[in-house]
Amino acid sequence: MSAEQVNTFSQGNVDEIFRIMHTIKGSSAMMQFNPLMTVAHRIEDLFFIIRESGMDILSEQSRSDLFDLVLQATDYFRNEVEKLNSNEPLSEDIDSFLTKINSCIVKIKGEIEGVPVASIKLEPTYADTSPEESIDQPESILVADNHEFPYSLLIFFDEGCGMESLRAFMLVNSIRDFCMDSEFTFTPNDVETNPESSETIIENGFVLQFRNANNRECAIQAITNSSSIRTYQTADYSAPTPLENTAPANTEEVPSTEKTSANPATPSDNTTSVPSKPSTASTNSAASNLSLNSSKESFISVNLSKLDQLMAVVGEIVITESMVTGSPDLNGLKLDNFTKSARQLRKLTDELQDVSMSLRMVPVSGTFQKMNRIVRDMGKKLGKRVKLTLTGEETEVDKSIVDGISDSIMHIVRNSMDHGIETDEEDRIAAGKDPVGEIILSARHTGSEVIIEIKDDGQGINYDRVLQKALSQRLASPDLEYSTKEIINFLLMPGFSTNTDVTEFSGRGVGMDVVKKSVEGVGGTLFITSDPGVGMTTTLKIPLTMAIMDGMKVSVGNSIFTIPIHNIRQSFKVNPDDIIHDGTRSEMIKCIDNFYPIVRIKDLYGLDLGFDEIQDGILIWVESGEISYCLFVDELIGEQQVVVKPLPSYVNTFNIKNHGITGCTILGDGNISIILDVANLYLSIQ
Amino acid sequence: MLDETMIFAIQEDPREAEEQSPDGEMMQFLIFKSDDLLFGANVEYVVEIITNHVITTLPMVPNYVRGILNLRGQIIPVIDIRLRLGKPCQEDSIAIVLNVNGTQIGILVDSVAQMISIPKDHILPAPANNTQKLISGLYSLQDGSTMMVLDCVLLVES
Repeated sequence: MSAEQVNTFSQGNVDEIFRIMHTIKGSSAMMQFNPLMTVAHRIEDLFFIIRESGMDILSEQSRSDLFDLVLQATDYFRNEVEKLNSNEPLSEDIDSFLTKINSCIVKIKGEIEGVPVASIKLEPTYADTSPEESIDQPESILVADNHEFPYSLLIFFDEGCGMESLRAFMLVNSIRDFCMDSEFTFTPNDVETNPESSETIIENGFVLQFRNANNRECAIQAITNSSSIRTYQTADYSAPTPLENTAPANTEEVPSTEKTSANPATPSDNTTSVPSKPSTASTNSAASNLSLNSSKESFISVNLSKLDQLMAVVGEIVITESMVTGSPDLNGLKLDNFTKSARQLRKLTDELQDVSMSLRMVPVSGTFQKMNRIVRDMGKKLGKRVKLTLTGEETEVDKSIVDGISDSIMHIVRNSMDHGIETDEEDRIAAGKDPVGEIILSARHTGSEVIIEIKDDGQGINYDRVLQKALSQRLASPDLEYSTKEIINFLLMPGFSTNTDVTEFSGRGVGMDVVKKSVEGVGGTLFITSDPGVGMTTTLKIPLTMAIMDGMKVSVGNSIFTIPIHNIRQSFKVNPDDIIHDGTRSEMIKCIDNFYPIVRIKDLYGLDLGFDEIQDGILIWVESGEISYCLFVDELIGEQQVVVKPLPSYVNTFNIKNHGITGCTILGDGNISIILDVANLYLSIQ
Repeated sequence: MLDETMIFAIQEDPREAEEQSPDGEMMQFLIFKSDDLLFGANVEYVVEIITNHVITTLPMVPNYVRGILNLRGQIIPVIDIRLRLGKPCQEDSIAIVLNVNGTQIGILVDSVAQMISIPKDHILPAPANNTQKLISGLYSLQDGSTMMVLDCVLLVES
């Protein structure tokens, strides 16, 4: 899709799509998903033409048609694959779609008429599609003596698999499915009738010769998908060096037919992810090579609940480890060997924890890439030219968090497209901006958090309009003056929308408040900053993972509470003189030019023990989103990485979540510490 | 020799054998004491009995919810039966961990007495005007005292 920005497909892109369509076609043909196969075949045809004639000859109009078409095709494949996954019948209704593709083909053909068709150079394509596979293994017998069928394929069956002639014949049959009889020949050619030919096949291999390279590629598909093939080699008459040879490992994989059901999914994903890599042709082919490499890695899919279970067990091990090594029974003993083993154990448990954490981490790129499509589609519909810049796609976040926020990001991007970027390009030019709008989506790590920013260079928030709307919805009171920060907060209120019309994309009233909720649901926070005329930035701060966090342990009386480190700004001791009392018995303290209320945990939770005098204890300045205040506790115990455990559902029925208690964690000594939610704690006393 | 032991075995427990005959359905109860009252908890629900437990108090919950405890990595809420029944609480009590339809909960009791096996139809329904909502039935023990059957499901749901 990034290719669209430069308004052309690079040669690498075309080849890539071509190859992918091939794969889809091959796999679906084998699995008998005929509609899929037909569509893939037509698209392949389309790209074949493009590949032959080059991109330059296409007019602007037909180019954008082409892109639409390709994206539709991608959608189609994705839908069908989803249907396959859920075992629904495939839709047979592909005629209208086919007609579209066909008309596009006709159109493009019409345009390139008169343009001398470049001689087909297929060798480069081969180099492109299988660079890492071209293992040189000179085989002289491959050189076919047949000028008519220059593209040959030498196949060896597994040793001792028996019935080679029959196998060869089955292969020929499967090739006939997509290739006319006149388009290829095979040697020995009496496999059907003559069982003796088995011997020849064992000795010399089974040779297939094709009139064009396309068919051979199909055949390779068929071969890799059939069993008992030990190895195969290809050779072009024009280029005597054999170009391709699958590693034995590759053929070994083939017999597992379950794998193939997953196959259609992978290539159709690739169609979106690969072409949207950085746009120059050279980096693109590098990227596609990379993706080829990475797809070679073997993956297994694991149920998320099993990972959760693993995390829980690892958490237990970490705790138990510190219980064992920190056991009070060991006090005063000098145990050299024990200390040594304990150190080793600690190292291993730390490693185990890291590994099990990393299992759940996925890069945000998947979510980010989806935005390309949204920006593109919306831009078309709204008539806005917008480019999307992605940075830090490789940033990794816990899987459940990615799932939780991807809709939010989409919503914010849509908002930026709909409201942020100016409708009239003249306005942008008048404001001294590039007529093409820009949305920057970035992700980066900061310690225990990931910061995701969605930034547009549009008109920013129109404070007056927001305030007007807030007034008309009775969210704001007309007598008060509002700061810009407060006005922005109206945006995050339920049911707020500045848009008077409900558009396809936004303005249904379920807006930023839902986004805010879902971000907070994963333990994150959301800020909006805006600069009228320059643009607005939405920042999501989300924790790396919900399962483990850095916490500060504090004590109040004999209770131990854990406060998430990322909420703590500062802790300090104060004298009673520093406290400012207001009329309603609430206390405040001044830190860095601002007054903050003080919340005493002891009083809030009605604890029996704990310090009352402000100079005995310590104040912790905490912050969560817009909320900032000081907590009064007895003392700080220390910082610790804690495994967050949810509270039992029984106690959750008492609604303690709204009093700032979100979960608990097991400390090294086996005791439980309660984890405080700074934001809810403050809201509960309001 | 073998016959003799068999005879003894039967003779030892004539009452139980007798009770088993009219109705095969037996229920096992764990009898525990709380404020001098005898309660019985259906053994199906009982997971284990723990003595030296450390309960972490939870703020902002009703007083009978004493807090949560860590049972080998699982966080289990603990209810004090005395407080639940409106009696004054008492230190050093015993926790019985129950698993009621997947929900784990600990109950604090004074002491655990014994296990008994009684036929289901010998449990009498609690009188309708019974104020103790947590009791689903009554049973007269051999020594003349009365066991109250604790309604564990209600305990978890309330």
